[in-house]
Amino acid sequence: WYLAWMGLEINTMAIIPLMAQQHHPRATEATTKYFLTQATAAAMILFASTMNAWTMGDWNINQISHPLATTTVTLALALKIGLAPMHFWLPEVLQGLNLTTGLVLSTWQKLAPFALILQISQNTNPALLTTLGVMSALVGGWGGLNQTQLRKLLAYSSIAHLGWMIIILQFMPALTLLNLTIYITMTSTMFLSLKIMASTKINSLALAWPKTPTLTTLIMLSLLSLGGLPPLTGFMPKWLILQELTKQDLPITATIMAMSALLSLFFYLR
Amino acid sequence: MLKILIPTLMLIPTTWLTPKSWVWTTTTAQSLAIALLSLTWLKWTSETGWSTSGPYMATDPLSTPLLVLTCWLLPLMILASQNHISPEPINRQRSYITLLILLQTFLIMAFGATEIIMFYIMFEATLIPTLIIITRWGNQTERLNAGTYFLFYTLAGSLPLLVALLMTQKDMGTLSMLIIQHTKPTNLLSWGDKIWWVGCLLAFLVKMPLYGVHLWLPKAHVEAPIAGSMVLAAVLLKLGGYGMMRITIMLDPLTKELAYPFIILALWGIIMTGSICLRQTDLKSLIAYSSVSHMGLVAGGILIQTPWGFTGAIILMIAHGLVSSALFCLANTNYERTHSRTLLLTRGLQMILPLMATWWFIANLANLALPPLPNLMGELAIITSLFSWSPWTIVSTGLGTLITAGYSLYMFLMTQRGPTPLHTISLHPSHTREHLLMAMHLIPVLLLVLKPELMWGVCH
Repeated sequence: WYLAWMGLEINTMAIIPLMAQQHHPRATEATTKYFLTQATAAAMILFASTMNAWTMGDWNINQISHPLATTTVTLALALKIGLAPMHFWLPEVLQGLNLTTGLVLSTWQKLAPFALILQISQNTNPALLTTLGVMSALVGGWGGLNQTQLRKLLAYSSIAHLGWMIIILQFMPALTLLNLTIYITMTSTMFLSLKIMASTKINSLALAWPKTPTLTTLIMLSLLSLGGLPPLTGFMPKWLILQELTKQDLPITATIMAMSALLSLFFYLR
Repeated sequence: MLKILIPTLMLIPTTWLTPKSWVWTTTTAQSLAIALLSLTWLKWTSETGWSTSGPYMATDPLSTPLLVLTCWLLPLMILASQNHISPEPINRQRSYITLLILLQTFLIMAFGATEIIMFYIMFEATLIPTLIIITRWGNQTERLNAGTYFLFYTLAGSLPLLVALLMTQKDMGTLSMLIIQHTKPTNLLSWGDKIWWVGCLLAFLVKMPLYGVHLWLPKAHVEAPIAGSMVLAAVLLKLGGYGMMRITIMLDPLTKELAYPFIILALWGIIMTGSICLRQTDLKSLIAYSSVSHMGLVAGGILIQTPWGFTGAIILMIAHGLVSSALFCLANTNYERTHSRTLLLTRGLQMILPLMATWWFIANLANLALPPLPNLMGELAIITSLFSWSPWTIVSTGLGTLITAGYSLYMFLMTQRGPTPLHTISLHPSHTREHLLMAMHLIPVLLLVLKPELMWGVCH
């Protein structure tokens, strides 16, 4: 655990100067917020692992078994990646960055915490994970409805997708990984296309049709895929996750997740 | 099945590679060839009822008429769109045709699917090209709103369906239609099972549409371009009916009690939407509401689950598909000339376009279910089976038939008879293309009078 914590800290340190590159007050503010939240999360991870070592005598990552320790470490990792109810930093931080750094934040930065999450997946509290997942999906859906800034929109979409990933963690971690991979691909597409068109608000997207019709079609298709419409690839993780949930006799959860996908779809559609 | 799917997919390279002046001709010709090829499906030889089977797709007497209808409509859609798309640059025309072809492919795969999940995915997949057609090529600014209504109504109904299907797969181990028709009965007693029942049906009821959740239909029809309206009215609504017929096989015995509110909604909807038709000023909206009314009859016929009800439903679906599409084409011919859908502005056309008046006459007679046309066969079968289910339904179905006759005649008289407004005197005469379009719509309707067994192979 010690090395894991060190790795996370170095990761945070490395990304801070990248984020502060633009000498814009909002960028500096975003950097500060990011640093504070990530440092808190890392400190909580260290605390939880020490607590586990103290009570159980074990430093191994996937042997973490004291219930308080697992809960703390799950919450800390959730704070790191931006799951509800610890998601409040994500829209504002993402808004303060330029599109490339935002891309890195949404994709690469998620890999490290997810590696840890996947490893502790057996010992986690199922109720906690389900709550985090459902809340994230709903918050991601509702929060994005009133947004016009594209970066905040993508932040809320990230929260919703992370919710889907977390909820299946307890049943089939392979699906979490699949969902993560597909999500990274789709979000990278979105960020890169937005960077090419240099647009950060919904209004500027409306002018894109005459400039690059092919790219606009691509953006539309990838937005619909993010929303999870068949027959695009984005439907596949949602479908498999719903299948696993129903197999585990959780149809109500499955229905709630499906309905929250509709919320996200609404703001993708605009 | 592949014989039809691969030529349809190959239509896409055809549209993009043919030189500019030949695009419309070649696509129409090729899609017509595919449609004629699809008529070979009408020969049912297998005992189990499922023929032409592949690993995931097969045809049976229930899906074949709908498949033939879908394939038949593609050349008609391309014919109908030719005029209003021609001012656009060639690549946009090609993408429009490509969208229609994609929609066609998804529809063929949906009707031919044997696994219910594959049907579901294709059901959802048809939404995307339709959405793009409505929002990109529609005519008014409200089309964005219409597209959103369309998408969200349908999706809100179909996501519970996905969960319900996954639950079924867990319980029964398979979702193949071939197998499900032999596994019965399931013990469905608790509240959770009742919600499962509603979840299964809701998607199709929204798509049909049932009276309470029909708001997306007039909006979508009015805002869509002609090909969009045609395919919406003719085929997409029938997807809902087809899905309902397939799903009700596994929904017994709950359906006896739980179907009451939906049957009541359907019957009430026939009268209400018919009455709205009598007061409409927008021609396309009138035809859209008449679609809701007919589909209400179909929904009632399916929900009571009697053999005559099913038969009537499928006959009415096919007949309504052809006739509704024909009416939309007629409305479009008016729209292309006057750029207005208001009934008052397009009156008295019999003086100016007499041959088109003939088509208006036949289409409206078909709409009001004149014997011996198949519309009447279907309506009569459904009304009879509803009557035997409960004698009180004759009140609403009889009244509904009366109101249908009322608004169909109203539509005919308003557009054809009466004084011709002065501004319509200099309209273009009817194109041969338009006459061809109407003939190809209405001749199958007349031919089906001679051999209705093609449609009702399910129960006889």
